[in-house]
Amino acid sequence: MLSDIITPDLFAAAVRIATPLALAAIGGTICERSGIVNIALEGMMLVGAFAGVVGALATGSAWFGVLCAILAGALLALIHAFASINLRTDQVVSGTAINILALGLTGFFMEVIYGHPGTTDSAPRLMPVFNISGPTEGVLGTIWTWINGVFLSFTPIVYIAIFIAIFGQWALFHTRWGLRLRALGEHPRAADTVGISVVRGRYSAVLMSGALGGLAGANLTLEQVGSFTEDMTNGRGFIALAANIFGRWTPGGSYLASLLFGFADALQIKLQLFRDVIKIPSQFFLMLPYVLTVVVLAGVVGRAVAPAAVGKPYEKG
Amino acid sequence: MRNPITSVRLKSVLEQLATPFVSVLLAFAIGSIVIWAVGYDPILAWTSLLKGAFGDARRLGDTMLRATPLIFTGLAVAYGFRAGLFNIGAEGQLFLGGLSAAWLGLLVVDLPRGIGIAIMLVAGALAGAAWAFIPALLKARVGAHEVITTMMFTFIGRYLVSYLVTGPLKAEGQIPQTVKLAPETMIPKFSETFGIDFGRAHWGFVIGIAVCVLMWWILKYTTTGYEARAVGFNQWAAETGGVSVSRTIIKSLCISGALAGLAGVVEVIGVQGRLFDQFSSGFGFTGIAVALLARNNPLGVIAAAILFGALSAGAGTMQLEADVPQKVIFIIQALVIFFVAADQIAKWVLSPFKRKGAENA
Repeated sequence: MLSDIITPDLFAAAVRIATPLALAAIGGTICERSGIVNIALEGMMLVGAFAGVVGALATGSAWFGVLCAILAGALLALIHAFASINLRTDQVVSGTAINILALGLTGFFMEVIYGHPGTTDSAPRLMPVFNISGPTEGVLGTIWTWINGVFLSFTPIVYIAIFIAIFGQWALFHTRWGLRLRALGEHPRAADTVGISVVRGRYSAVLMSGALGGLAGANLTLEQVGSFTEDMTNGRGFIALAANIFGRWTPGGSYLASLLFGFADALQIKLQLFRDVIKIPSQFFLMLPYVLTVVVLAGVVGRAVAPAAVGKPYEKG
Repeated sequence: MRNPITSVRLKSVLEQLATPFVSVLLAFAIGSIVIWAVGYDPILAWTSLLKGAFGDARRLGDTMLRATPLIFTGLAVAYGFRAGLFNIGAEGQLFLGGLSAAWLGLLVVDLPRGIGIAIMLVAGALAGAAWAFIPALLKARVGAHEVITTMMFTFIGRYLVSYLVTGPLKAEGQIPQTVKLAPETMIPKFSETFGIDFGRAHWGFVIGIAVCVLMWWILKYTTTGYEARAVGFNQWAAETGGVSVSRTIIKSLCISGALAGLAGVVEVIGVQGRLFDQFSSGFGFTGIAVALLARNNPLGVIAAAILFGALSAGAGTMQLEADVPQKVIFIIQALVIFFVAADQIAKWVLSPFKRKGAENA
């Protein structure tokens, strides 16, 4: 029974589900570290998912789709950056507007381009990177199934996300870029005083988060689902924000938190198969990430402290 | 001779109305460009939208029907904003309000209609307030940002409802939904009362307007309202002035939650008669746009909710007659929020008029 539940594909599913969350969460980390709240990750992911499919369908190249997704996410982020940095609009309000805008733009252009609402045709997809055949029999076979399933069965963006998490973690705490980014979010005036451009720094951070949100969307459509459905992100951008908090505003932490949320979701899907034996409703597993986030915010497991200047517009004094 | 005080008042009211008005115009202008750019006729689009929203009693009824939940959610978000709180989770509180009504509606069936409805409204408000309570407490005690916590509670609430309608509260049959309420426990429809075909519009619309007036009065003339505004304006000044900031935060977010809960009640006992997974089409989120457009004024909420109700009621006719995809109304909504929030743009558009006004004076 337990060996039916705890299988390589359970862990593989957790990693797959975690990937878009992690990419967006790291986007949120970078953005908030620079002092800009980004609740528009949901919309950036949605636009990325759509642009990815449009690009891939138009050219037949999934990688071109990925490029379109990244650009679309960044383009939407540009609006957020302009509103938050130049117009000093309330960042949460601007983010809310962008989420609604993304819903409208994707739905509208879906009908304009494909002539119908709902779901697009299947687009070319990115295939798993490795395709190695190993032993199938005996103990070696079991070991190989685990190694292959948990580490080698994934599509490119899954590995890209892991790389970004590790590289981002290092860069945030061990490079000049990271130090400057953190300074912008903690004490922009001090950063300004020593000659760091707050405007340029924040713009690049917001654009980066949009690009990551777009990439997360590309992972959804071009690797997981294969087509675009209206509102398909279904709150993932908000779970990503939660993962960013859960991961204490660090890229590595964001990835691990996403993995935890992904595991809860994968387990929930798996347990549906054993509905007759295990009588815990799936909804309670689905609630788990949100309950955990509230628990973290409540300070039950240590304090979650946001960058000090997050959400505050900066005016050059 | 004109009374100078009234004239100053009138001028400030007009000034307050100018930014939202220009914002809506700008939103429609950009919407027109988008529509035109992809090859449709914007004039035809907007005229058919208008026709679809106000063309006859039935369509007017549809506009009122769709405005009703938005009045409550818009008011909920607006009240929160006045106290400096962004209740982005009105959607979740709405689900809890709807849940309580769907459950109580089965129990109050033997009571007189008015009393039954009153009980369901009060209970739904309490359910909404309860759903906002933990985020409120966390905000007041440890400073956890309400945008994240109320959003998290929205997901939790939706899954809770999803579980209840597929499990313990599920009606007989294949579809996950609760038992349909008896018509005599529901809010009366305008069509029943007036004998004119107003479609599915119901008295919840009037209740909504009444609650807006009540909240306007509460904000303006009561201690509760004063404290909420003081905390929203400047927490430190409020604390110094003897207002308990943490108590006010808890109270204000719970009142906001209560108003959102009412939205759920009127949807269940005014329209659907039962609860199911998708009974709200994002009313809680559209409420944010309504509140912003109304600049958090409870009376402005009425007008803003009717505008958004009209947009969604007219969208079908627009698609039918002008072929423009309905989703364009989301683009309009987003642009309206944008321009109201970034009010420098509207002010910049208005600035030539203002200078002229100053020269004339």
